[in-house]
Amino acid sequence: MSDRKLPRLLQTPAVLLLLVWMLIPLGMTLYFSFIRYVLNSLRRPEWTSPSLSNWRGFGNYEFVLKSKDFVLAIQNSLFIVCSILFLTVILGILIAVLINKSFPGQGIVRVLLISPFFVMPAVNAVLWINMILDPVLGLQGIAVAGTNDILDGLRQMPVLGGFFSLWPEFEPISFRATQTSAIAVIMMVTWQWTPFAVLIFMTSLQSEDQQQKEAAVLDGASTWSQFRFLTLPHLGRPIAIVVMIQAIFHLSLYAEIEIVSRGNGNKNLPYLIGEFANNNIGAASATGIFAVILANIVAIFLLRMVGKTLME
Amino acid sequence: MAIVAQSSKFSTYGRPILAWGVGLLFFFPIFWMVLTSFKTDADAVKPEHLLFFTPTLDNYLNMTENYDYWRFARNSVITAVSATVFTLFVGVPAAYAMAFNPSRATKDVLMWMLSTKMLPAAAVLYPMIFLAKGIGLYDTHILIITVLSLINLPIAIWMLFTYFKEIPKDIIEAGKMDGVNTWGEIKEILIPLAWGGIASTALLVFIFCWNEAYWTVRLTTIDAATLSKLIEGNRAPEGLFFGRLSAVSTAAVGPIVVLGWFCQKQLVQGLTFGAVK
Repeated sequence: MSDRKLPRLLQTPAVLLLLVWMLIPLGMTLYFSFIRYVLNSLRRPEWTSPSLSNWRGFGNYEFVLKSKDFVLAIQNSLFIVCSILFLTVILGILIAVLINKSFPGQGIVRVLLISPFFVMPAVNAVLWINMILDPVLGLQGIAVAGTNDILDGLRQMPVLGGFFSLWPEFEPISFRATQTSAIAVIMMVTWQWTPFAVLIFMTSLQSEDQQQKEAAVLDGASTWSQFRFLTLPHLGRPIAIVVMIQAIFHLSLYAEIEIVSRGNGNKNLPYLIGEFANNNIGAASATGIFAVILANIVAIFLLRMVGKTLME
Repeated sequence: MAIVAQSSKFSTYGRPILAWGVGLLFFFPIFWMVLTSFKTDADAVKPEHLLFFTPTLDNYLNMTENYDYWRFARNSVITAVSATVFTLFVGVPAAYAMAFNPSRATKDVLMWMLSTKMLPAAAVLYPMIFLAKGIGLYDTHILIITVLSLINLPIAIWMLFTYFKEIPKDIIEAGKMDGVNTWGEIKEILIPLAWGGIASTALLVFIFCWNEAYWTVRLTTIDAATLSKLIEGNRAPEGLFFGRLSAVSTAAVGPIVVLGWFCQKQLVQGLTFGAVK
């Protein structure tokens, strides 16, 4: 069996590269998370280089857990991720069921729908926050101003004017504020990732058992019960996969947060790590370890699921 | 017959109208960006020029002057192409070994590779900066190419593995009988047979590299800065430059969106690791 040796050796470069890529940085993060390590300190210059003599034990973890930003960042991360998951799965199922049957122009609609997924995240965020959501110059601002103009005109009308003067003026919403910027991020990411969900659900719908469906129709099953008892169970596995893959991607959401809400209170975990990393490396590393733990909880489920189909 | 009669009304009118509506709605932001790119900066923010305006190519012609676009684009092309080539160079032999000479550990190795993909990038941000600066590679093409290759290697190997598994082993075995060595097998038999799969893997890896926006932003300043960094740096143009910003954004995403249209199917496979068929 010596002729098998060389072929097997061919995977070594890939394995070694990934091993180095994973172990060295992660090991360093773990090490930094247990020492005092800052980039600038006039008072304690000895803390500015990593060294075992600056050992802090779990001090960095305590510091991070006690900081207000950390709790906010976790809350925000979860809020953003859960909202995106909920919206993309619901929209994805509806749209996939809608366009799965043939109709004139089905191919073109598919192409139109999938396009947002390929837009680079930085462009996505800049496009939405400026040209679409800006309260003055974006489409939102223009639409609100236009509506107010129309209302003003209606108020001048002889009889009905009295009715319209009861209506309020509309106020545009600024999506760069702390409370609203998470909504903006959710909107733009949902726009980008719904196509992904649609694509996967459609792929899965194509393997649905058509004979079973026809039998159900002959038995007089309503469209709803066909959907509820045949289609939805069939989509169970793809839904789980969409949820987990997106969870992993969105837990490390960065470009959108950076562009939309830089400097306000809307931070997620990766953003907070970046902020700590400007000076307090110990705290950044401890936060990083928390992020790894969070991602692993999701990853274990996903890996189990993927593993089952692996050697089929 | 009952099937046809039951759903006919919705199928003839409702479905196409609704489906087209949804499709156009999702495409609208991209359409709007392209449309705005043909407006002057002044026209772009005037409500009266929302749809009617004199189109101009100035925003595209002045991209170099306004943003130094081509320098960033050059960096994007260099890093994404090199990373794709390197990923395949390491990935094809690895996937070959796993698909045709699997051992008991193969499944675990594959799962482990996938798990590296789930390490949150932010968690290792500072060590990466520290190492890159330590070796003197910060803000260089080599660093970005290496990082892009490594983050895409697991997906590439997975995709290639699923393609290679479909090739009958007999064909490879036949090659062995004829005395072809391992390199010959890969070059003469595997690559010609799996050409389509390799090409779509390359396409998908290229798209991911091009759109990457964490490492390319955090590990570069100017010399190796890619288009993601360029756009990120112009995040708040205060409405003065919608026209030119749209042009540079369109130029940055246009080619990729078109490439993406051609690899929808592979996308499903690549992103779900073959778990949805």
